[in-house]
Amino acid sequence: MPLKELKTDTENTLTIERILHTKRYSLTLDKTLCVGCEICQITCPREAIEIKKTPKKNGEKAQRPIFDVSEQKCSYCGMCEPICPFSALEVRVDGQRMVPVLEKESFPKLIREIEVDPTKCDIDCIDCQEVCPLNLISVKILAPGGKEISPEEARSMPNKENLKVKVNIEKNLSPCCRLCELKCPKGAIHVRKIMHGILRINLEKCPDGCQDCLDVCPIPGALYLDESDRKVHTNETFCVFCGTCTIVCPVKEALVLDRRTIHHTPVSSGAWNKALEKLTSAKEYSKEAKTKALTKAKKMAEKRLLLKEAS
Amino acid sequence: MAETPRVGVFVCHCGLNIAGVIAIKELIEYAKTLPYVVVADDNRYSCADPGQEQIRKSIENNKLNRVVVAACSPRMHEPTFRKCVMETGLNPYFFEMANIREFSSWAHGDNPEQATEKAKEIVKMAVAKAVLLQPLEAMEVPVTNKAMVLGGGIAGICAALDLADMGFKVYMVEKGESIGGHMAQLDKTFPTLDCSICIEGPKMVDVSRHPNIEIISFADVLRVDGYVGNFKVKIRKNPRNVIADNCTGCGECRDVCPVEYPNEWDMDMGVRKTISVPFDQAVPLVYTINKDYCIECYKCVDACGARQAINFDQKPEEVELDVGAVIIATGFDIYLPTDDQRYGYGKYDNVITALELERLILAAGPTRGKVVRASDGKKPHSVALIQCVGSRDVNKYEWCSGFCCMYAVKNAILLKEKYKDDVEVYILYMDMRTHFKGYEEFYRRARELGVNFIRGKASQILEDSKTKNLIIRAEDVALGEPIELETEMAVLCTAAIAKKGSDEVARIFSISRGTDGFFMESHPKLKPIDTPVDGILLAGACQAPKDIPYSVSQGSGAAGRAATILSKPKWKIEPIIAVVDQETCQNTRVKCAICQKVCPYGAASAPENQPARVTPAMCHGCGTCVAECPTDAITQMHFTDEQIMNQINAALEANPEEKILGFLCNWCSYAGADLAGTSRFEHPPTLRAIRVMCSGRVDRDFVLEAFREGAGMVLVAACHLPYDCHYISGNVWMTKRMQALKGMLEKLGLSPERFRIDYISAAEGSKFAEVITEMTEQMKALGKDRILAENEKLRPIIDRMLARKKAKKAAPTISASSK
Ligand SMILES: Cc1cc2nc3c(=O)[nH]c(=O)nc-3n(C[C@H](O)[C@H](O)[C@H](O)COP(=O)(O)OP(=O)(O)OC[C@H]3O[C@@H](n4cnc5c(N)ncnc54)[C@H](O)[C@@H]3O)c2cc1C
Ligand code: SF4
Ligand code: SF4
Ligand code: SF4
Repeated sequence: MPLKELKTDTENTLTIERILHTKRYSLTLDKTLCVGCEICQITCPREAIEIKKTPKKNGEKAQRPIFDVSEQKCSYCGMCEPICPFSALEVRVDGQRMVPVLEKESFPKLIREIEVDPTKCDIDCIDCQEVCPLNLISVKILAPGGKEISPEEARSMPNKENLKVKVNIEKNLSPCCRLCELKCPKGAIHVRKIMHGILRINLEKCPDGCQDCLDVCPIPGALYLDESDRKVHTNETFCVFCGTCTIVCPVKEALVLDRRTIHHTPVSSGAWNKALEKLTSAKEYSKEAKTKALTKAKKMAEKRLLLKEAS
Repeated sequence: MAETPRVGVFVCHCGLNIAGVIAIKELIEYAKTLPYVVVADDNRYSCADPGQEQIRKSIENNKLNRVVVAACSPRMHEPTFRKCVMETGLNPYFFEMANIREFSSWAHGDNPEQATEKAKEIVKMAVAKAVLLQPLEAMEVPVTNKAMVLGGGIAGICAALDLADMGFKVYMVEKGESIGGHMAQLDKTFPTLDCSICIEGPKMVDVSRHPNIEIISFADVLRVDGYVGNFKVKIRKNPRNVIADNCTGCGECRDVCPVEYPNEWDMDMGVRKTISVPFDQAVPLVYTINKDYCIECYKCVDACGARQAINFDQKPEEVELDVGAVIIATGFDIYLPTDDQRYGYGKYDNVITALELERLILAAGPTRGKVVRASDGKKPHSVALIQCVGSRDVNKYEWCSGFCCMYAVKNAILLKEKYKDDVEVYILYMDMRTHFKGYEEFYRRARELGVNFIRGKASQILEDSKTKNLIIRAEDVALGEPIELETEMAVLCTAAIAKKGSDEVARIFSISRGTDGFFMESHPKLKPIDTPVDGILLAGACQAPKDIPYSVSQGSGAAGRAATILSKPKWKIEPIIAVVDQETCQNTRVKCAICQKVCPYGAASAPENQPARVTPAMCHGCGTCVAECPTDAITQMHFTDEQIMNQINAALEANPEEKILGFLCNWCSYAGADLAGTSRFEHPPTLRAIRVMCSGRVDRDFVLEAFREGAGMVLVAACHLPYDCHYISGNVWMTKRMQALKGMLEKLGLSPERFRIDYISAAEGSKFAEVITEMTEQMKALGKDRILAENEKLRPIIDRMLARKKAKKAAPTISASSK
């Protein structure tokens, strides 16, 4: 059978496949998770991904950009899967979940550091569950013996000290925005952000009345409209630095997003260095390169220099 | 001309062959009246020793500096007499032959009087040419005794090994990462079922170890300059990103590399790593990084470690090779029938090509030797092999691909031997072609094993969407009715077609391709290995589909042909070539380069703003450029304008309106005319023939001059279109040029039948006689008066057309008219 390259678009998924007589690769996007940011597009070494701006209709709110991927270009290396802050992508080989670059330790995973101490929780508090913009948290109250009870039942129970709270967070899908941490009245949650950086709006360039960035931002509070000047302002505390806003912003340099660090598992890989270089500013990249001592890239460069001198 | 011509004419009796018809004495007396003739004599057999001795003596005694022998066809004895003349110290090109046997005594045996009259004019034309002959020196070029073999399939491998064993240095240039070609992709080979790589592998290794062979793989030929014995080939080595000298072929890098891509070697049925070799037995065993897929993680660099074989900065490298001969062995491709809906290839998972089946059966293939269906990974219980997919199809590829019947039988046997009664095998065929040694026996073996042979062409393949089985519709010729066959797998035995990139190779080496796209040999029977370009030879399936034994034989044959060149310190080149007058060439002033465009051999080159040049060793002397050159800047040695014009003048001096002036190309129509004589096909003695090497040489001016001088009829005869021309395309250019001229002359009032363009092969003696008979009858029917009247009307116009050139050129210094 000759090579087949397929693309299937359904309401909730977009799948591309490469089918050979003896092997089968697929990449699936979960449209319900994808926010249309630029991270995968920047990372993909084959330039297979295109984040398409949705044209804005007059008088309507800005729409999130749309993810598209070329079934001809994709090589199913899987770099896009671990880098996606929202875990919207999934690579399979012969039907099994498998990320080739992770398998061969050629790419890191993002570190999603979220810790909860449920012993600190108020029994009937579900603030975190309510504040999570992605609905990743569920709070449960367990009666002695492990039976789950509702908050009303809990409130009417006499011996509240026997009740236990269980906070369930789907960490793998979390972009680590910290909304829950800051909302929690008891300081029970600790979240470390995946990415740090700078997000600024240049108020002089930002046109009056525009709030396109705010309309597409997946994290409430990272951007907000200030009633006093009717302009959008930023709050880096919540920003996950996905970059969706930069895609829709109609004015050059009105919005500046600069990723500085990315929290990831240790890896020694040229591919990661390159991705990092593209995702962050070059200065930051060289800082990481320095702190992690000699990377392969630097070694390679030196080797080449030596070779040249020798010949 | 420095010295006054002193011509000797020697008339041969050829026993009674000539003397029995032609009045020899009368002819001799006539010859003596011709200008510059100082002696005319006869002998019984000029070609025999006494005859030659007589000529040599006469040259010395009479201080002759031009010799005309009136005897048989120059195609027969021109070389003999050139040698004879040379022995006296005279330049061999001061010799001219008058063909009075084939063209007169044999052709007009029952009309001795007219035969004698015609013979006189044949001699007169020969003398007219002889007085203008110029001495020519055969050139010699030194020979580089190294060869290049392009393409490392089995044909190229055998050619390279043979040449190397003879002691010649060989560069084996291969486009792919490894040598081996298609044979390395096959499982077993017919008719003996040896494992393909087991017999080819050792040869591949021999190539890599041979001290006289240098493999240059993963490389492209960029350009070729020079000519036989002296080619300069520019080659680009593409970067593998792995340093060949450091790579040990261990494969540790491959194991750590994360990225895979479809392996073309496996017909894209399996994958290979971004750093890998296409197959385990690759030669040279050097890994390659495919930069298209590499993510530059540098895991391979780590794995390679101290060997330091990986270099991401490799750049393409250009090298230049000096070689004396080139063997082209670039092989073939197979047709992938994705464009033919009928077979469902690419649409139905379980329809595959025969080459894909080879990869599946092969133990080292992507399934480790398991024949499985793509739809469910299961072994099929029934397989149909479908013959002639694309081949022998006038709407697709007209030719028979040669080896498909045999490999279908082979694969049927392999399936039967592997899975025994667990698989039913069908072959649907049009004709079973199993000639050659051991092949018919092999076919019988398949029948004995229970393979089902169904004679009939599959017309359509459909799929059962549930089982993914295939329903094959065909016309069963034996039953005479349509049948439907359900199998679990269908294998298409598709056409062998010209290798992708053959057009580029043809352009670079100035060799030609047939309408089928395969490279053309110089002669289908007698020069099946040579190309029209001296020193460039063909081997294997690049010339037409060939199986392994045939490709191997041709590889060795090509090595032998190359060795005939390489073993000589010097190579002689015929001096009958084209020479450009640097002053007259207009390419310095206007963009012309017509010569470059028409030369079939890439011998003429006209770089912008520079006068054109012809590389002597590349020129084959067809004269096409000479005839096409708008400023008459090119001269063809031994067939100069002046010489031919003088022949025309001589032929048409008396009673031109009763004659046909004919221009015959040496290889086809002149030979056809000879054959008419040899076969004694009687025809009227009206033709006065001028021999040119190629019809491409026939200048418009020759035809114009003939009509100006009052010729009754003009004939230009060539080899058949499109492929018979000895010079590839001379006849094509002639046709274009003469059709245009014919149209113009007819508009000016020339009766259409008076100017004929025809094609006569060397075998068509009867056609030649018919053409001359018909033209003579037409000439009679038109009548002398009409012809004279037309000529009268044409002459002033032609005069004006020719005057321009006449003015530029001094009139021939020596006139053809009688003393
Ligand atoms: C399915 C199948 C089964 C077959 N089974 C048999 C069998 O059992 N027995 C048998 O006798 N025959 C068999 N054959 C035929 C056999 O494959 C050919 O006879 C043989 O491969 C011809 O060898 P070759 O060297 O002429 O060409 P190829 O094998 O095609 O080799 C050509 C080489 O030239 C290289 N090349 C091409 N273009 C260039 C370029 N521009 N520059 C440099 N290098 C270039 C190619 O990379 C290749 O290495 C089979 C063929 C097919 C398709
Ligand atoms: S799998 Fe690799 S090549 Fe394909 S889209 Fe993701 S990053 Fe790009
Ligand atoms: S650098 Fe490229 S070739 Fe080497 S291991 Fe990584 S992907 Fe493979
Ligand atoms: S066209 Fe013929 S004569 Fe002219 S250069 Fe080419 S080969 Fe020679």
